[in-house]
Amino acid sequence: MTRTATKRFAGLALAVAGITALAACSSSSSSSGSSTTTTTPGVTTQPGSIGGIPAAGTPSGTAGSITYGYLSADAPNWILPIIPAADNSVYNSFVFGWQLYRPTWFPWNGASPAVDAALSPVNAPTSSNGGKTFTMTIKPWKWSDGQTLSAKDMEFTIDVIKAAVKESPANWANYVPGYFPDTITSMSTPNAQTLVINMSKPVNPVWLQEDILDIGLMPAHAWAKASASGALLDYTNPANAKKIWDFLNAQAKSVSTYATNPLWQLVYGPYKLSAYNATTGSFTMVPNPNYSGPHATPESNFVGVPFTSDAATFNAVKSGSVDMVALPAEDNPQIPSLKSSGYDYYGLPAWGDYFAAYNFKDTTGDFDNIVNQLYFRQAMQHLEDQPGQIKAFLNGDGDPLSGPIGAYPQSPFLPANGKSILYPFSVSTAISMLKANGWTVTPNGTDTCAKPGTGAGECGAGIPAGTKLAFNLIYNAASPITQEVEDLASNAKAAGVNITLSASNFDFMIQNYIDPAAPANINKWAMMDFGGESFSTYPTSFGLFNTGGSGQIGDFSDPKADALINDSISSPNPSAVTNELSYLDTVEPVLWQPLRDHVYVWKTNISATTPAAFEDLTQYDPTPEFFYVTK
Amino acid sequence: MSAYVLRRIGTSIIVLIGISIFTYLLLHAVFPSPARVALGLRATDAAVAAWNKQNGYDRPVLVQYLSYMNNLLHGNLGYSYAENQTVAALFQERLARSIYLSGISLLLAILIALPLGIFQAVRRNSLGDNIGTSLAFILYSMPSFFLGLILIQVFALSFPILGFEASQSTNIWVVIGDWHDMLLPILTLTLLTVANFSRYMRSSSIDVLAQDYIKVARAKGLPERLVLARHMVRNASLPMITLIGLFIPALLAGNLIIETLFNYQGLGLLFFTSLGKEDYPVLLAYTLVGAVFVVLGNFVADIALTVADPRIRLA
Repeated sequence: MTRTATKRFAGLALAVAGITALAACSSSSSSSGSSTTTTTPGVTTQPGSIGGIPAAGTPSGTAGSITYGYLSADAPNWILPIIPAADNSVYNSFVFGWQLYRPTWFPWNGASPAVDAALSPVNAPTSSNGGKTFTMTIKPWKWSDGQTLSAKDMEFTIDVIKAAVKESPANWANYVPGYFPDTITSMSTPNAQTLVINMSKPVNPVWLQEDILDIGLMPAHAWAKASASGALLDYTNPANAKKIWDFLNAQAKSVSTYATNPLWQLVYGPYKLSAYNATTGSFTMVPNPNYSGPHATPESNFVGVPFTSDAATFNAVKSGSVDMVALPAEDNPQIPSLKSSGYDYYGLPAWGDYFAAYNFKDTTGDFDNIVNQLYFRQAMQHLEDQPGQIKAFLNGDGDPLSGPIGAYPQSPFLPANGKSILYPFSVSTAISMLKANGWTVTPNGTDTCAKPGTGAGECGAGIPAGTKLAFNLIYNAASPITQEVEDLASNAKAAGVNITLSASNFDFMIQNYIDPAAPANINKWAMMDFGGESFSTYPTSFGLFNTGGSGQIGDFSDPKADALINDSISSPNPSAVTNELSYLDTVEPVLWQPLRDHVYVWKTNISATTPAAFEDLTQYDPTPEFFYVTK
Repeated sequence: MSAYVLRRIGTSIIVLIGISIFTYLLLHAVFPSPARVALGLRATDAAVAAWNKQNGYDRPVLVQYLSYMNNLLHGNLGYSYAENQTVAALFQERLARSIYLSGISLLLAILIALPLGIFQAVRRNSLGDNIGTSLAFILYSMPSFFLGLILIQVFALSFPILGFEASQSTNIWVVIGDWHDMLLPILTLTLLTVANFSRYMRSSSIDVLAQDYIKVARAKGLPERLVLARHMVRNASLPMITLIGLFIPALLAGNLIIETLFNYQGLGLLFFTSLGKEDYPVLLAYTLVGAVFVVLGNFVADIALTVADPRIRLA
């Protein structure tokens, strides 16, 4: 499931529903291709990272306040744990909501995209009945009013979700029609802490855990009502659940009352909201004394500080007025100078991918038939100079990508063929592949198909003789996308592949050049590059690369990929998604581009009781309850 | 005069309706619905359809427009689906901040630029005039973003005597009183405006000084001080009145870059952010309010001209 990071990731933005660290002393090291862990006294680094992380410490003295910066355009403006698609962003969920209502299964464990059991209020689900029955045990954490978190709370949350999506499929960001919660046939609570969910079809337990149901829970004993002063309702009655949803949804839309509405003061996460400014998007959170999970003692306040621009953000860093913030990518070259300003840093690629999509339905110049040829897509990948681009356009702060997920942060699902670049940059290899498949290659000219046909050494089905390797690529005119596509076009030209570049912007592209959104423009683009996408930690490409997927861009369709993706979401096989990733690595559904490090800086007087807290930052997933001020 | 005012109000309403139609159609021609931007790349068709229905984008454009205008006439500017607030609330929170920043800068610029322009005209080609001209050209050619960055680097970072960002308070009285944090953004805007205004004032003053009535005034022995005060300043200021009238819309949005640079939540920044989020209700309301400011600015300038120059008759 895609989460909105910022317009920058997808445009970098993943700049939508599409991303971006430092210690007591270390020196910066480029992450590109790094595969070793280094340790210096008091500081550790991870493979694929830059900067370093301070060793775990123990707070002493009184609690402080940790200020955390973000762009004002990303300022949190949604508080209810059920997040509508229009409000789905990492800032509304990870940064803001999850401090109040920790997700059922906290999806990051430091630099590892895997559930952190200690931070999760629900134990891992066990599946039975062929993957159709799930049993979940809710930990007896405490709500801030002293009540115990229970299975009823989770049941209540799911019932309200069912009512929400029935009212509108847009009311819950994780919802895909025909899947959860549509597949629920019954729920039961055999005891106070156990919830059993029966479904009509099998669901992969990790997919359910890390992608579909990673949500904050809601208090059945306080929120199951249709008005502020109303009586508690039987939420298992769908009509009541709808009333409850309507009430809670309306309350969540009143952003100016976030800090004062009694509803939102009832939490089980590490923090309670004490101030929220609807104009600026700033907030202040104070420790929830009843929080049952691990945290530093004493626990510091968590203060969100918005900045109107990257320039304003960097000025704040130079003046030392913010404790921790994501460093704007264009300021990465300034990292060495920040040490003198009292900051340390650490960077790791944010979880997700960057790519240029192919349009498998563009009939212009028979591009649909050309792009259907695997050798063509492999040759194109050979023309993508990822190491060169990382060095030239990313200040060395990135990692190559050869599939839906990168080698870093290292996922437990990473296939063996995902650990290295399958089709490394080599113009000569690309030329050889094209020649070997019936093309007359004219470096700096335009290649033409000389041997039409479907046999070995021929161009492929539907590609007539004389067909030219010339097509367009529409790109989001933002850095470093512009530089990357220009580099690609230059390398392609050297192999006789003529790419005409056309600048656009993210919003326009996703409205006009994504096949499901704009089928009328199907023949207006051959390739497009808007940035990338973020994933849940369970890295299935369901939605993106399965035939007819809701997130399809260029209608990639491959029966084997469809079967593997279906396995990933419905098979209990824990390695199903690894198989899916391994296959997608080889078939190149898109042109993979380098991952960009998401670099966080923090003041040198900030430490944490666990180093993972610093790593969490790079994934937009702050765990401020572990930070403390040392002096 | 009253007939003129009534006529101007009538034409202004027509102009505003025209702008609203044009803006509405233009926005919907580019993106009939912002659903894909609002809901994200993986939004299902069902979610897009439901969202469009929920926000009225499933109706014909004309129906949407008439509904919008109906709401507008009832004082409802719409609801921002990106910010989860009414547009009125968003404007209310930011309007005073933007008006203060732009207004105080405009006022200071007028107070500095008018005397400076007159001084340069009277002392034309002197050292002072040349220095003033050089500074004006430097500032005039300097992007506001660059000037702001230089001022921040010098006065907030290298020599931290002023704040690197504008006041973060949402209480306008606190903002007004916070000179430590507001001085740099105000100074940036003021300097840029002074550079602009002073050139106009200098040019206008030089023109007036060459007029026969100035020569006559001098020939009849009127002291130079009175020549300037009675005959030159008033006449040279006429073009400035028009110019300042045209600057009034800047009270709404002219400080977008300054707001962005100095971390100041104002209307210009709201518009910019809303563009990125395809937040139609905010974009439409902002454009309409901007149009009102333009019409109002011109209207005020016209009235002011008749006061400054009785020869001008409004009919």
